Amino acid sequence: MPSARPARRAAALAVVPAALSLLLTACGPGVGGPATSAEGPVEGDITFQTWNLRAEFKDYFETLIDEFESRHPDVRVEWADQPAENYADKLSADAGSGSLPDVINVSPDLAYPLADAGVIMNMDAERATAKYRPEYTKEAWDGYEMPGLGGTYAFPWYLNTGPLFYNKALLEDAGLDPEKPPRDYDALFRYAERIAERSEGRIPTLAATPTIENFGRYGVRLMNEDATEFTYNEPAGVELLTRYKKLYEQGGLDAQALTNTPEKAGQKFLKQRVAMNPGSALDLANFRNNAPSLYENLGITKAPNNTGRPNMYLMGLAVSDQSEHKPAAIAFAHFVTNKRNQEKFGHQTAVFPSTRGSLDKDYWSEDDGTAAGRVRVNSAQSLDGAVNYQPVVMNDEMETILRNEIAKALQGDKSPKQALDDAVAESNKLLRKH
Amino acid sequence: MKRMSRRERILRYALLLLVLVITIGPFLWQLSTSLKSPAEDVYSDPPRLLPGDPTLENYSGVAEIIPVWDYALNSLKVAAANVVTNCVGASLAGYALARLRFRGRKIAGLLFVMALLVPLESIIIAQFTTMQQLELNNTLVAVVLPGAVGALNVLLMRNAFQALPYELEEAAVIDGANVWQRFLRIGLPAVRGTLAVVAIFAFMTAWDDFLWPLIVLSDSENFTLTVGLNFLHGTFQNDPRLVAAGTVIAVAPLIVMFACLQRYFFRGVGEGAVKG
Amino acid sequence: MRVRTHRTVSPWLFLLPGLAITLAFNLYPFLSTAYKAFTDARTLTAGSWVGLENFRQLLSDELFWVALRNSLLYVALVVPFTVLLPLLLALLVEQRIPGVAFFRSAFYTPVVASVVVVGLIWSWMLDDRGLVNSLLVTLGADRVNFLGDQWLLLFSAMALTVWKGLGYYMIIYLAALGNVPRELHEAAAVDGAGPVRRFVSVTVPAVRSTMVLVGALSSVAAFKVFSEVYLLAGPDGGPAGADTTLVMLVQRVGTGLGGRVGYASAISLVIFAIALALMLLVLRADRKEDAP
Repeated sequence: MPSARPARRAAALAVVPAALSLLLTACGPGVGGPATSAEGPVEGDITFQTWNLRAEFKDYFETLIDEFESRHPDVRVEWADQPAENYADKLSADAGSGSLPDVINVSPDLAYPLADAGVIMNMDAERATAKYRPEYTKEAWDGYEMPGLGGTYAFPWYLNTGPLFYNKALLEDAGLDPEKPPRDYDALFRYAERIAERSEGRIPTLAATPTIENFGRYGVRLMNEDATEFTYNEPAGVELLTRYKKLYEQGGLDAQALTNTPEKAGQKFLKQRVAMNPGSALDLANFRNNAPSLYENLGITKAPNNTGRPNMYLMGLAVSDQSEHKPAAIAFAHFVTNKRNQEKFGHQTAVFPSTRGSLDKDYWSEDDGTAAGRVRVNSAQSLDGAVNYQPVVMNDEMETILRNEIAKALQGDKSPKQALDDAVAESNKLLRKH
Repeated sequence: MKRMSRRERILRYALLLLVLVITIGPFLWQLSTSLKSPAEDVYSDPPRLLPGDPTLENYSGVAEIIPVWDYALNSLKVAAANVVTNCVGASLAGYALARLRFRGRKIAGLLFVMALLVPLESIIIAQFTTMQQLELNNTLVAVVLPGAVGALNVLLMRNAFQALPYELEEAAVIDGANVWQRFLRIGLPAVRGTLAVVAIFAFMTAWDDFLWPLIVLSDSENFTLTVGLNFLHGTFQNDPRLVAAGTVIAVAPLIVMFACLQRYFFRGVGEGAVKG
Repeated sequence: MRVRTHRTVSPWLFLLPGLAITLAFNLYPFLSTAYKAFTDARTLTAGSWVGLENFRQLLSDELFWVALRNSLLYVALVVPFTVLLPLLLALLVEQRIPGVAFFRSAFYTPVVASVVVVGLIWSWMLDDRGLVNSLLVTLGADRVNFLGDQWLLLFSAMALTVWKGLGYYMIIYLAALGNVPRELHEAAAVDGAGPVRRFVSVTVPAVRSTMVLVGALSSVAAFKVFSEVYLLAGPDGGPAGADTTLVMLVQRVGTGLGGRVGYASAISLVIFAIALALMLLVLRADRKEDAP
């Protein structure tokens, strides 16, 4: 590109002195301009940022945006989509420099630090947004409630469940009935012991150590009422970890479980080297396309649960508190998450709407006889009463602390009780510093 | 080298082949995955090394999901600009550090050494804030600027200029050539080999960079290839064949570029001086 | 001997582009990092001055000492290989024998292949049911759990670093070898010197300054290692974090929306200081050899 060369050089040289002088004033993150008004005419240019949705759903979103713009001719929506990895880093840079998009796709754990820094709107605090509350299911709306910050900070959007996938052939090899997968943790550990024994330690049942969500489904109380302290070191938590330790020693847990990432664990399941793996309804297509030999043996069931309340994963749309066109941003965020558009999105792929009454529709309640239909209906049913176990205040570092302490317990460096006590103490220290 | 014995020749090729297997084997596996058809189980155990039914459809598949040629063009712009700025900036600075004597030379050298040591992870947000204040965010210029003259390249060029015998320049000094003329006519031609290395490193760094372009770019039409290819991972897209095809698309230009430039590595000082 | 001292501005004009970019986009931002090391800043809050608190906390942070040990070990065990092996490889492909251009390009592929892909492939090879273990079993040995043991993981990551560095440092050497006058080699060959003696008495002295440079560069790179360990040992840095390196620690505590930027900056400062010491040590060793 010889033609562009001189211009670029000149530009590069010209900005350097400017950079030096600007840097003198550039110190610390520029968080927290004044909040703008939520009331007023719906007009202006807004940006809408999604998380890894363009590749698959370009048409859906372009139609959606066209439709919104034709209803509100004074609004122009600019759509940006971010790739899967390093999304939190991207948000950090934007929020830190006061340039968050107007409408942002966030999961609850990403919403918390943004809400805590005061850069996204409290949907409960403004009449303009609080009025939409009855349109969403209670669990979904509560899923974005931020402890200690007095309200919900995003419109709930699509939901997902976490079914347990299992390998029927491997169950059969161990003399277990492939049509009767484990329902609760007692059964899960019993099955795992049996599979390890029959395969002489060649086939572990699980490939990963327990996450905080496992503790939740086991019935452990994860945090105190006001989410100021972790409590997963209570006796039930110690019991779960003790059972995992036994499982690890028996060969029911993959030898590399301490270092497996969810991706690696998933691949072991794809290669039929572990008997069971948690996943999402979205994995089904992956299994069918990439591992046809596994797909023939695939069984799906609800994740083992001792509480009667299954887990759900949710996504939402937050509105920047410094948006210059807040009424337009609110209107658009609501438009994307309203009942009709959520249901339409749910028809595109294996995700589920969070709007009230949607899951009673035939599409999510009547088995149409296909494999996909059966999974869809099963998953939709399991969303009834589902909650997000993952505490929103638990950041990546606190999760790492838990995983590392669990590893120490499994390796025998510490007793399970000591490991969980230490993890809780260290995480609480981080929470308090906050 | 023409006097190589038969035995030495055989030994040499045996060693070359051994290293070849170690270095290129993994890459061929990726190439093989990218050629596998949808009907083939890519997670079979043990893995199958050759595609059963080779197909190019994964490559068109990548192009359907993301505008891969637009992204490649952006990457090419960024990488080409990076090559130019680095070759010019690093050879100028390297020449001054190695061949000119002036007050502050040591400090200037130390600054480049220090720049090499800064953990980039710790300054990325500060760099972003700077770009925003320069109103360069979301432009390809912002992608290029922080690495426009890499400290590593400056040190490489300094090393190369240092190795030149001083006699080379003396004649020119006597002829009355000024410092710019000596740099252009004598210094630069003599270090063409290292300049080629700098060009390759600059191209590769810019082409492979992920985190910085991701952070500084917002509009997807400006995305570079590595950022764009990341759309092939993640929740909704999980086809290892497509990911492999994307990888091949990303790596092929670098190998081609290397294959074109590798012959320059032999034009060291001896030949350069004679011709220069 | 040197060309005469310049009192003109031209040396600074030569340095201007490089120095300006380096100062503006590298060293200056690092000053703000240095400042933050003395605050309790988080990703989204500027924080306030806390003096040496972060450093005090570092001293009692078990993981910091683990990470420091791992990073130093990485330098000690990786650098000798990254200095020597690529040089030997460069000698191997230096001569113009048929097909050598192909080999040179092939040897460079590990450098250009993305780390993520390379990580995946290595995990697959070292897996407890992977290629290496299949070979071991065929040879009658026991399976080795490379990816489950903290030390084997660290050594595997080091091997990966050396492997990826082969082609990279090879081309730096190739460029330098071009400077070795052929007459020297040929004279030595006529003298009847074998390949080993020719290597020691002709090649090494001729590329010594490049060996020092490669030593310095690879020391710093090894000390700041991140990707290789991250990909093989996982984001937690191996079982219970036992393979964490210093840069991994920075990344773990400092990134994300709730990142403890102040604490991470303190670790970054420590990394910077130690890397600077390492670099000066290597460069000084060079100067000492110069003296006689």
